[in-house]
Amino acid sequence: MPAIFTVDPRSGVPIYLQLIEQVKRSVALGVLAPGEQLPTVKQLAVDLTVNPNTVARAYRDLEHDAVIETAPGRGSFVRADGVAKQTRAATDVAVEAVTQAVREAKSLGLPAASVRELFESALTRWFPEEK
Amino acid sequence: MSTISIERLSKSYGNFMAVDDVTIEIPTGSVFGLLGPNGAGKTTTFKCLLGLARATSGEVRFDGKPLTPDLFESISYVPERSVLYEWMNGAEHLEMQRRTFKRYDAARAKQLMDLFSLDSRKRVRAMSKGMRTALAIVMAFAIHPETLVLDEPTSGLDPVNQRAVLNLMIESAAQGATIILSSHQIGQVERAADHLAVLQNGRVILAGAVDDLKSDRKIVEGIFPSETIALDGLRRDSRIERIDQSGRILRLTVTADGGGLAETLSTMGAQSVRIVDLNLEDIFLNAVAPGSQTADVVEAR
Repeated sequence: MPAIFTVDPRSGVPIYLQLIEQVKRSVALGVLAPGEQLPTVKQLAVDLTVNPNTVARAYRDLEHDAVIETAPGRGSFVRADGVAKQTRAATDVAVEAVTQAVREAKSLGLPAASVRELFESALTRWFPEEK
Repeated sequence: MSTISIERLSKSYGNFMAVDDVTIEIPTGSVFGLLGPNGAGKTTTFKCLLGLARATSGEVRFDGKPLTPDLFESISYVPERSVLYEWMNGAEHLEMQRRTFKRYDAARAKQLMDLFSLDSRKRVRAMSKGMRTALAIVMAFAIHPETLVLDEPTSGLDPVNQRAVLNLMIESAAQGATIILSSHQIGQVERAADHLAVLQNGRVILAGAVDDLKSDRKIVEGIFPSETIALDGLRRDSRIERIDQSGRILRLTVTADGGGLAETLSTMGAQSVRIVDLNLEDIFLNAVAPGSQTADVVEAR
């Protein structure tokens, strides 16, 4: 399996968090289908040239978040229990993105009313059918 | 497979303390990065670890036991300065490994020689710095070591071969080997290591899991309406390592809870607050040279 993830080790964001975010995103987008097998810890560590314990930590957290499950001796798989998990994974990714956007807008000194306006115009643009 | 414990290790040369009360624990299967400026004590630590220098005090244990000759069978050491013989070629060096180590794997050695495109008939005398480093790496990994002590293991190598060395470390660690390496290339430690310690003047000044160090340490920056900022509460805050003020800009270097401190700055009246992630290089430079990121007012604790 080609490496479907990439990490930026030089970023200030810990590598295991980058991996978690990417697996969740892939699950949310259906790039990783329910039941699909993930690369082994060793394989992914070598593919990305990152520490195996770091990959293992990301997999443990993803198991804890019920995104993947690990069958001893068989490997790690995207959990098959349906759309709910995928939606939750998508929500996690979206929440992070929105939080960051709002924080950024606030740090630029925009008042809440202007941020709300920005969101309204973004919603109108991306959800035209609902207007 | 072994956990390496360095306990209160000190080594002095006359009045000079090369290593000063260093305690480090390296779990089995871990890649441990030892960082530090030149002369910080990294090589001396390695020498004491391997029994090549006698510690002034403190001890080193492998799985709770002192280093004994039988352990050398499973330890590979790549010293900073090459110990290759100028008049011998690659094949002769490998033959030396074969005779010394029961674990020597000829097929693996061949594979590794090919990986680094080394000609086994070439004498060391005729080799570049990078080829010498690569040969030392081949010798080290050809015995399937359980413990690897690598002192600047990529010096002189081109980026492709540097990456190959990192991947060899990662494969070995995934199979349970314990690796300790020193490197000036922080990016390599950032990729390959899960734990690290920073040495300066023989002392450990920073240590921890690489990801935790990154998660915990942030810069929280606030822009205030005026230059008069009440810093009293912040000065007593144990989450803050350092406070820099430059006019209306206040910059906190924090070791925990950046989010909470960002809120504190908002409450104090900052108009704009942002949290900046620090990469390992920032964290390292902050640790070894706390005054380097200059500001008008520096209030280190």
